[in-house]
Amino acid sequence: MNKRVEIRSGDSAGGAAQAPVVALLKSTMPLQVVSDDLLGRIAGLAQRVSCAPGERLYSVGDQARDVYIVISGRIEHALGLGSGARTLNQVLTRGDVFGWAALLKDVPLRLATTTCLEQAEVLKINGEELTRVFAGDPSTGDVVMSRFATMITRDFTLPEELARVLNIPRRVEVVQPGGLALSMFRLKTWLQSPRPYLMLVGFALFLGFWYFAVEVWKLPRFKEMPGLTAVVTEWLSKNPSYGLSIYTPEYYEHIWISVRRVGIAFVLATVLGVPLGLFLGWSRAFREYVFPVFELLRPIPILAWVPLAIIMFSGSETPVIFLTFLASFFATALNTMLGVESIDESYNRAALCLGANRRQVFRHVILPGAMPYIFTGLQISVGVAWFSLVAGEMVSGQYGLGYVINTSYTMVRYPTIIIGMATLGAVGYITSAMVRLVGDYLMQWRVRELALGGR
Amino acid sequence: MSNAMVKFRKAVLSRSTRRALTSLLVFVLLWELGSRSKAWFGVAMPWVGNIPAPSAVLAAWSKLVGDLGYWQSWYMSTLRVLAGFIAAMLIGIPLGLMMAVSRTFNDITFPTFEVLRPIPPLAWVPASILFWPTQELSITFVTFLGAFFTVVINVVGGAKSIDIRYFQSAQAMGASQWDIFRRIVLPGTLPSIVVGASVGMGITWNVVVAAEMISGGGGGQSGGSGGGLGYFIWNSYVGGSYEQIVVGMISIGIAGYLCSEGLRRAGILFTPWLRSR
Amino acid sequence: MMDAPSASLQRPRRPTHAASQGAIRIEDVVKIYDPEGAAVMAVDHCSLDIAAGEICMIVGPSGCGKTTLLNAIAGFHSITSGSIYLDGEMLCGPGRPQAAPGADRIVVFQNGALFPWKTNLENVAFGPIMQGKMKPREAYEKARDVMADAGLSGTEHSFPGEISSGVRRRVEIVRALMNQPKVLLFDEPYRALDSLTKSVMHEALLEIYYKNKVTIFFITHDLEEAIFLGHKLAIMTTRPCRPKKILEIDIPHPRDYSALTSPRFRELMEETADAVHEEARKAFELGEKEG
Repeated sequence: MNKRVEIRSGDSAGGAAQAPVVALLKSTMPLQVVSDDLLGRIAGLAQRVSCAPGERLYSVGDQARDVYIVISGRIEHALGLGSGARTLNQVLTRGDVFGWAALLKDVPLRLATTTCLEQAEVLKINGEELTRVFAGDPSTGDVVMSRFATMITRDFTLPEELARVLNIPRRVEVVQPGGLALSMFRLKTWLQSPRPYLMLVGFALFLGFWYFAVEVWKLPRFKEMPGLTAVVTEWLSKNPSYGLSIYTPEYYEHIWISVRRVGIAFVLATVLGVPLGLFLGWSRAFREYVFPVFELLRPIPILAWVPLAIIMFSGSETPVIFLTFLASFFATALNTMLGVESIDESYNRAALCLGANRRQVFRHVILPGAMPYIFTGLQISVGVAWFSLVAGEMVSGQYGLGYVINTSYTMVRYPTIIIGMATLGAVGYITSAMVRLVGDYLMQWRVRELALGGR
Repeated sequence: MSNAMVKFRKAVLSRSTRRALTSLLVFVLLWELGSRSKAWFGVAMPWVGNIPAPSAVLAAWSKLVGDLGYWQSWYMSTLRVLAGFIAAMLIGIPLGLMMAVSRTFNDITFPTFEVLRPIPPLAWVPASILFWPTQELSITFVTFLGAFFTVVINVVGGAKSIDIRYFQSAQAMGASQWDIFRRIVLPGTLPSIVVGASVGMGITWNVVVAAEMISGGGGGQSGGSGGGLGYFIWNSYVGGSYEQIVVGMISIGIAGYLCSEGLRRAGILFTPWLRSR
Repeated sequence: MMDAPSASLQRPRRPTHAASQGAIRIEDVVKIYDPEGAAVMAVDHCSLDIAAGEICMIVGPSGCGKTTLLNAIAGFHSITSGSIYLDGEMLCGPGRPQAAPGADRIVVFQNGALFPWKTNLENVAFGPIMQGKMKPREAYEKARDVMADAGLSGTEHSFPGEISSGVRRRVEIVRALMNQPKVLLFDEPYRALDSLTKSVMHEALLEIYYKNKVTIFFITHDLEEAIFLGHKLAIMTTRPCRPKKILEIDIPHPRDYSALTSPRFRELMEETADAVHEEARKAFELGEKEG
């Protein structure tokens, strides 16, 4: 017997050797629609077998284990009389698929005899392993099997065998779009749309206008303003003429001080505001006593409290933090209260029906139910905190971004004003996003619900 | 007794009103005690001990009511608020509608908008002063910014949430693009515009007061209290008349509340279909 | 006090293990909202007897006050006069205008009240854990079994927001049954479902009913649904509501969907359709808003 040289495609140097195999696989009729990924896996399963002229690969009645694809040469495919085909003999060349009995349900035996007509090379793939690959991707598997069925009927003229093509059950799974996968998907879709580019157009227009208006055209009001290049060079320079750039430690000191103030105020406001809001929403008696006083104080603009704050508290830090706290506090408490009030009454009732007492209803229904609103309130609260902080710093603080902006103005360091503003914007945005992320993390149920609802 | 009288009596004597009055009374009493603590108890309470007492505030207020300058401050602040606010609506509403209607426009402008939004309006004050020729305009500009972002966000949100079936019915009935805009998008967005306006109004007051305090009021009459309520408060502080500070604070609170209420009622007028279910 | 239907009526078959608990007696109940203001009478001297283990369907036009009745039984609303008894004990009545909600009468709500922030498993196990009847671990084990029994395995760790509304309903019913209630109160639970899902829900409900001893008080405006599911049918008048017509549905249980085309079914439809339609017309003319 002639020795057959068998080389597994998968054993050779990975991708490089696989590429021609994948290309061949893709050229076959049943596998045309399969993704390159999947084809790569199939290629990994395949063995290259060469055969000499006159050699038989298999005969009718043999165990059908493998599917074959012709790489080169010519193979004679002779179907047995019992197969019911209209044309019994065929000659197969490169790209033709045979030995598909290995894929048929309940057909363990070969229906044809295949003989090499000249020196040939074929790809041999184990039928079971191939089926397993497709079972893992049912929708593709479905398509591939139906294409096999078409091929068997059309090319090999076998009618009945259609019914015996292996049935891959199509399971419709509820795909759980979670966390990272969802974000990556969204990112990919976004990048493929025109949106990122339009966004850049918007930025370009804005920055361009700023640049041209101040530095090139020198429009009447604009020419006194700090220009784009002035700001950027100042910001990025190692030796800034006005003292603040990303290389100076003072820059980060100011940022840190502002952030610290907002942090303290925000935490305090949350710790006091959320429970207050919860009680206001939960207990009617409490609300009737306390809410009027709350609503009396709320409309007073935060900054109107500045002088009073200075009088009340000693030092220069405390008034600023107090003001920031106050703004956050009102926003948090109000939103929390509204959140509790927005919870559908049915949830309370269901809990009572199921035997929960008041305390349990609070813990299991009110608290989680109000969470989305609480977090919206917290985001607003952070925004409001920054608003008040800046004002407070401008008026009575030392250090901090608001202070920077104000003194830059009085000390005629105009580009630094813009640096301060931009930094404020960025830091404000980051803190708000952080709150939102914490909220998303704590409320997985909502993220998933929104994802499936589509926005 | 007529039905209205019955209702009024019920409202006044109802349990919730009684409770509200009780707590307000308690609040004022505690305030009075706290602020007088130094004089009456010999030891000042922390924080509260330093602020003027309600009785003193009331006394100062009764004197101010006769002062023209006081009312002028009201006038100036309100003017600034309205100017900035109306500007914000005039520019913000069309901008928001355009963003909602045209995807391309939205994709170009919204990101820039979102980058600028986190910058607190007050941070714009120095830049605004540099840019605008008069102090008045610079304050109005900052006020405008305060309300502008809120209005736009609310308009966009409102327009986006209009049920798509309204569009479909209109198209089925043969409406043109302009018709759809005028008869569906505009009225559909109106409630959100009202909400945006109310929130924007609150922010506007905050900004006006702050701007007045920071930039020294300006444009007012010589000395005294001509530069708006924010300036009035700051000036009172500098001048040492602490009772007036509190008067100013409460005045602004009232003014702000009146504006918001007015807005709310105007909103109901414009959206009659939202009235009661 | 248990009311047995009169022997002369062809008695429809009840589940093989007859329930001995859950008989409801509604006696001359009146409910008036806002008595000193715009007095609105929602329920007008309504009396109804429901035997233990019976499925009683309440049919009536929108806004007629049927939900008020359900809420009174469940303990969410008070009644102005009259009384309601459960197995002889007074739930509410003179001296006690409002019943206390409890796990012996569990409501399945119209828009579903599965807690969206808990997984389905946590929802199902909620009742016994709250009542202290089981430790959490036990409760989760039992919940898993009960869900598997109802064909709901695989959904344990999803949130209610992630599954279809039909599945959500079934989870809610299972959640209720975990507490072995005497009565299940349904407030138009299948109203928002399409008719295909509805028919599946009906069969699922009956299957659950045959396995559990429980009285069912079911509000619907769908006459077909009512005749298909119920032992007893009470047609209510427009607001204020009062039983206009009560009849026993003598199609034998266990029923399946072939019952829908049986001659007896059609006869019952004919008998009742007029009454229902008449009340629906009245409600329409009154301009009733859906409750």
